[in-house]
Amino acid sequence: MSESSASSTPLAAQGLWHTYGERSALRGVDFTVETGSVLGLIGRNGAGKSTLIRALLGLLVPSSGCTLVLGEPALQLTDRVKERIAYVPQQPESFPWLTAVQMLEFLGRFFPRWDGDFARTTLSRWEIPAGRPLARLSPGERQRVELIRALACRPDVLVLDEPAAALDPVARRELLREVALRAGENGCTVLFSTHIVSDLERVASQIALLHEGRLLLHCDLDATKERYARLWLPPRHAEAAPGAALSRRVHGDGSLTLVVGRGARGEWPAAVQLDGARLDALGLEDLFVEIAA
Amino acid sequence: MLTIQPGVPEPIYRQILEQLRRLIAAGQLAEGERLPSVREVALAHAVNPMTVSRAYGLAETEGLLERLRGKGMVVAAQSTRTRSQSERLALLEPPLQALARQVQELELPAELVLRRLGKLLGE
Repeated sequence: MSESSASSTPLAAQGLWHTYGERSALRGVDFTVETGSVLGLIGRNGAGKSTLIRALLGLLVPSSGCTLVLGEPALQLTDRVKERIAYVPQQPESFPWLTAVQMLEFLGRFFPRWDGDFARTTLSRWEIPAGRPLARLSPGERQRVELIRALACRPDVLVLDEPAAALDPVARRELLREVALRAGENGCTVLFSTHIVSDLERVASQIALLHEGRLLLHCDLDATKERYARLWLPPRHAEAAPGAALSRRVHGDGSLTLVVGRGARGEWPAAVQLDGARLDALGLEDLFVEIAA
Repeated sequence: MLTIQPGVPEPIYRQILEQLRRLIAAGQLAEGERLPSVREVALAHAVNPMTVSRAYGLAETEGLLERLRGKGMVVAAQSTRTRSQSERLALLEPPLQALARQVQELELPAELVLRRLGKLLGE
């Protein structure tokens, strides 16, 4: 990362490794999120998504590697950068003794761009009990309060860890709308992890697939859909399978399923022309399952 | 006006572009008709505004749409003469090819499929 490009990059990681005891959660992740992009981070449970997010934001000290937030080392962020980022963890725990209204009023004072109207109207739209301390809200209500807090501070960088888990379909759609508009119109950069792939397909401009602590894929969402496909080869052509495939499964009868990509000039591997071969376009969910299964 | 299916292999910008091609070719969107703004489409479908503007931009390059100051995107003049029959048929080529492949895979006689299609078309 050069000094000049790093200062404008919202989130960047280089050579990130992290282990919990014996278990490696991250195994050498290099990663940047560009300004104004909406990056959807997908991966199975335990793939390392939350660890990656926490390391990116400086909330955990990685075993090795470095991360930058808006050009500053994530472990030594200044207030100037902190007020421009918002993060919603999977299980929020801050200020359990305050009610949602008290918490938002308190925190709002620290953010110069705080949108109090948005906070008030969304609290009632998302049906948050007004008089109860946060500790006594359900996990879903608690996460909704945190999403309101994160959106109301009008951040330049918004990081959401599994935001969809706590929302019903209507509120989820509303959240996606907010995320899409802020990125598309205000240049807000968004990183969110999810395993609800259809949410990601609506709003993400980029996807990153984390599998067993490694990034297997990180590219433009539309390009991903156009570039990769599933190739099935009958047993008699198994020998002719292209070497460069994202995934490869051998079936009981000797036939093969591969995820193959187009070459530099948009051409498919030669094997797709073989008699009996079939090539199927892949939705993101199928691609995810093929690669991560 | 538009239908968006996030789960299918076809990227959303392509789904929008294909629908614009069909609606304009069939004359369902008339010359000079105003399209919903990028923001309106993005809000209605909870999709990224950049995806919508990419589709609009491509449609503009193809001459389907034009950008009018103060009015946003409208259906372009030269595309308003409804396209020739062969041009409209060409737009059906991808789904027809997909259908032909499935018919072969299912080993169905063409006659049977054509009869059913005829019924769907109200013949």
